[in-house]
Amino acid sequence: MHSKSKSVRLVNVTKAFKDPQSGQPVTAVDDVSFEIAPGDLVTLLGPSGCGKTTVLRMLSGFETPTSGQILIGDSDVTEVPPNKRDTAMVFQSYGLFPHMNVFENVAYGLKLRDMPKDAIDEKVTRFLAMVGLDKLSKRPPSRLSGGQQQRVALVRSMIVEPSVLLLDEPLSNLDALLREQMRVEIRRLQKSLSITAMYVTHDRVEAMSLSDQIIVMNAGKIAQIGTPSEIYRDPINSFVAGFVGKVAFFPCAVREFVKGVDELSTWEMKACRVEIKGKTFDIPRWSPNLKPSDSAVVMCRPESLSLGEPGAGIEDGIVSANVYLGNSVESWVKRQDPSQSDILVQIDNPDVKKIWKEGESVSLTFEPSLAKVLAA
Amino acid sequence: MKKRVLNFVLILGLVAVLGFWIFSNIQNEFLSLAKTQQLRLVSAIVDAFPDALTEQDARGPKARTDILEWLEKSVKNGGGKAAFVLGVPMPGESFEAIGDGSLIEIFAPQSPFSSESIKGFDNVAYDETYRSAKDLKLGNTYYALFFAPVAQNGEVIGALVAALDISEENSFINLLILMFCLAFAILALVTWQVSFSRDVITGFAVLTLFIIAAVFVAYPLLESLRLSFYQDGVWTLDIWKTILTSRGYRSALSGSIELGVWTATCSTILGFVFAFVCSRTNIPCKGFITAMGTLPVISPPFSLTLSIILLFGNNGLFTRMGLMPFSIYGLPGLVLAQTIGMFPVAFLTLSGVLAAIDSTFEDAALNLSATRMKVFSSITLPLALPGFLSAWLLVFTISLADFANPLILAGNFRVLSLESYMEVTGMNRLGHGAALSMVLLVPTLTAFLVQRFWIARKSYVTVTGKPSGRITDLTTRPVKIVLVGVIALTIIFLISLYGTIIAGCFVKNWGIDYTFSLDNIFEAVTRGKDALFDTLALSLAATPIAGVLAMVSALLFVRKTFYGKRLLEILMMTPFALPGTLVGISYVLAFSKAPLILVGTAAIIVVNYTIRELPVGIEGGMAALRQIDPSIEEAATDLGADSAVVFRTIVLPLVRPAFLSGLSYTFVRSMTAVSAVIFLISARWYHLTILIYNFSENLRFGLASVLSTVLIIIVFGVFGLMRLLVRRNDNLTKTIGA
Repeated sequence: MHSKSKSVRLVNVTKAFKDPQSGQPVTAVDDVSFEIAPGDLVTLLGPSGCGKTTVLRMLSGFETPTSGQILIGDSDVTEVPPNKRDTAMVFQSYGLFPHMNVFENVAYGLKLRDMPKDAIDEKVTRFLAMVGLDKLSKRPPSRLSGGQQQRVALVRSMIVEPSVLLLDEPLSNLDALLREQMRVEIRRLQKSLSITAMYVTHDRVEAMSLSDQIIVMNAGKIAQIGTPSEIYRDPINSFVAGFVGKVAFFPCAVREFVKGVDELSTWEMKACRVEIKGKTFDIPRWSPNLKPSDSAVVMCRPESLSLGEPGAGIEDGIVSANVYLGNSVESWVKRQDPSQSDILVQIDNPDVKKIWKEGESVSLTFEPSLAKVLAA
Repeated sequence: MKKRVLNFVLILGLVAVLGFWIFSNIQNEFLSLAKTQQLRLVSAIVDAFPDALTEQDARGPKARTDILEWLEKSVKNGGGKAAFVLGVPMPGESFEAIGDGSLIEIFAPQSPFSSESIKGFDNVAYDETYRSAKDLKLGNTYYALFFAPVAQNGEVIGALVAALDISEENSFINLLILMFCLAFAILALVTWQVSFSRDVITGFAVLTLFIIAAVFVAYPLLESLRLSFYQDGVWTLDIWKTILTSRGYRSALSGSIELGVWTATCSTILGFVFAFVCSRTNIPCKGFITAMGTLPVISPPFSLTLSIILLFGNNGLFTRMGLMPFSIYGLPGLVLAQTIGMFPVAFLTLSGVLAAIDSTFEDAALNLSATRMKVFSSITLPLALPGFLSAWLLVFTISLADFANPLILAGNFRVLSLESYMEVTGMNRLGHGAALSMVLLVPTLTAFLVQRFWIARKSYVTVTGKPSGRITDLTTRPVKIVLVGVIALTIIFLISLYGTIIAGCFVKNWGIDYTFSLDNIFEAVTRGKDALFDTLALSLAATPIAGVLAMVSALLFVRKTFYGKRLLEILMMTPFALPGTLVGISYVLAFSKAPLILVGTAAIIVVNYTIRELPVGIEGGMAALRQIDPSIEEAATDLGADSAVVFRTIVLPLVRPAFLSGLSYTFVRSMTAVSAVIFLISARWYHLTILIYNFSENLRFGLASVLSTVLIIIVFGVFGLMRLLVRRNDNLTKTIGA
């Protein structure tokens, strides 16, 4: 339906700001390169201050890169100002025009494109109907709920049929329930118009549920690019592992690389044999730069951990709290080393499993096929 | 990027070549025209050579006086010099010459002109007129040197050597060069903008503002600073020596400060009473008190002063009744007039501060069983202290710069603003006037800087954004009675002042004959009508210019980053701290000569209004813009609007309240301007306030009253209209940032 969707490419983009106090240059974005395929939704995920919003603002043209190139489709837009650029942005605070009603807000971009009035009327009405706001077109933005304001902002950007849709933490001002609805809504609209989109967020659930690809950023650099499951299962380092989900690390020593059988897939592959407190495990995923006799850590997600009698697992601890969530119980285990934070163990189907009481001593076991060995 | 640099250089080179070609064409055309003129003049001189003089005759003593007379007469009005050489000398030959000594000197073999004179005489020998290739410089003047044959009966008997003054010609060429350079510089800047900036419109806006600030703020100030070091065209420190040491000027300085201290103190106290009652007690009619407490600030100058004179002046109502123990002219009258006129400033400042102090602090203290007096002295007062200081300093500054009140009420009391006016208009000593008003700048700037950088930091007031619904009444009954008494007296006094002006319109001759008459009204209308329309036209012209400029500057200052932003901000805000007299004198000094001769035109008054009222508009616009989420404008840009469209469709509608109040402020201030405009008016463009002043100087109080009343009605009307317009927008201001 949307024939214009274009790819987006950043080539070695760097952005340095001058620190307003000291006057020293601060590198906000450091040599970032990536590509978005036409029609894909890619999320920039990272902690606040990692440069993800700066990347978005460079894509929209509000900031110019210090060096590097930005391409939309085949054309270099690095120096093109935002109003001449075929991108549309949904702002964190929406940026709705308070002196215009819903209809005028949505029609603004079309008027600037000198569209005839009839065509504007028709198109705005159609788009407002798509998000269920056709009845509210005469209202000022201040008399809309947060979710409705969000929809107006979304439609206002999409109606000009941009090559690239940019979303800057668009859901951060909404409550939890509305956020889930809007996530679905955004995904539906983006797919149905097949607009190339870049989404910025620090919320990993949002990133996981929306994206075709996730770009994890840290301190101005790209940490990892991958599909949501790649990022979750196969994080490149302990930062990514910790940022995209709850995780526990167990120190281990790398022994050797052996042939083994991956339980999830069936092809033959090597495994990394590690030793934790005298016990050896074959783990199918590991960081490529590891060598035998390196000290490393084993990364485990809460759902791959289980509890047992003290001494039976790789590490002993004491249950410090149990959180009952219906479909699962989250048990927090206090480790022997008090400097390390508690480990979360997720126990699914809790009604048919043994739940260790708070204060009881337990041991931790993990499922090697779901774990990954990372550099310490 | 490389392509752009190349483009830029290419365009610039092309423009430079084209410009130079045009320039040299114009120059040649002009020079040949001038040369024709000069040749015509020279031949006219030659024609006037006394007849019937052969070469032999010319050597006689009788002929000598004839020739001298001829030479003198012929070049006198041209401002040139002339000499007559007898015979046509060959190179190296000695010869006799009659005429201007300094001109004869150049024929000497060691003179740099000897080769030119050889050429000249050579031409003369062939009966040709020659203009020397080099120009002659004597003293500070340049001359074109002509050698013309004087023939008698077809025989050359001598040479006329004429030096014609060409300073005007040179200055025209210089002006031409200046204009071409300027045009080239502007073109270069424009090309630079277009080829290098991403946001061309913003670039042009910044450029325009820089030019405005340089020409109309920096240039006049520097010019008056420069001229305060010049006397009769010579660089000297004399003016400053006189001003800083002479007793008369020193007494004016101390008088200004004395007046400022008294006015500031009285105004702050009165202002605080008003502010305290309005924000910390629960008496009724607060709206009325606030309205009366702010009214004087928008009253035209002279109006309250005028009624003070009508009541307490030499022929005043109370004076005639024998109720005045001292003369109103001088310090007491000035303090009274200024306090009445300026306490609203303190009131507005302090009520802002008091409103921002959360009443829960006081509640907490009361809850810890402090007495009300204790709460006031230990909580409210310390928290309001920075506000007190800034109110005091603000009034002090305004009092020092005040010009209208001293003009009418000073008597023998000397203040600086008045003194500098006297220097300029009375004694025509512009340098002295400029220096004096610059002295005034010292306390003003000090107060301004203290306010900005010291008090602003000391301030404890934080805006919590949580309006406390209920105010704890801090006063006991007797205190309240005293406070309300003070307010009631002030308001009654104010009303009677306004009443007096209106009464003054309908009385035959105030102080002498109190019979009812409409004569004053008719006379004032006929005599003041032109000034009124002038003032209205000028103010109406300045209002939209200042309004739009203020909003554009505010937008640039708040939202954009560019080189020199800080400098531009300082330049644009400077006129706020400048005394009006300094601005007026600077403008007279800077714009009464080339290249910008504006004195006497309407333009200089409009420019003056605009520049002086801009800072307040900019402040208002900046405050309004800071309340607006930047992503609103970014959203518009992102949807394809350029800077101009964003300004028109988003910014201007959103800052409409600030824009409107900026407009009405400019209009009202322009209508009521005195201090700067008094220097700039001309016979063609007169100002209503100055007319009022002239009438009251000539004791035509009736006429002055009528015109004051008209002015009051206009000013109050505009303010009322503005409030009406802004109120309709209330729901908008609250929702900005939605």
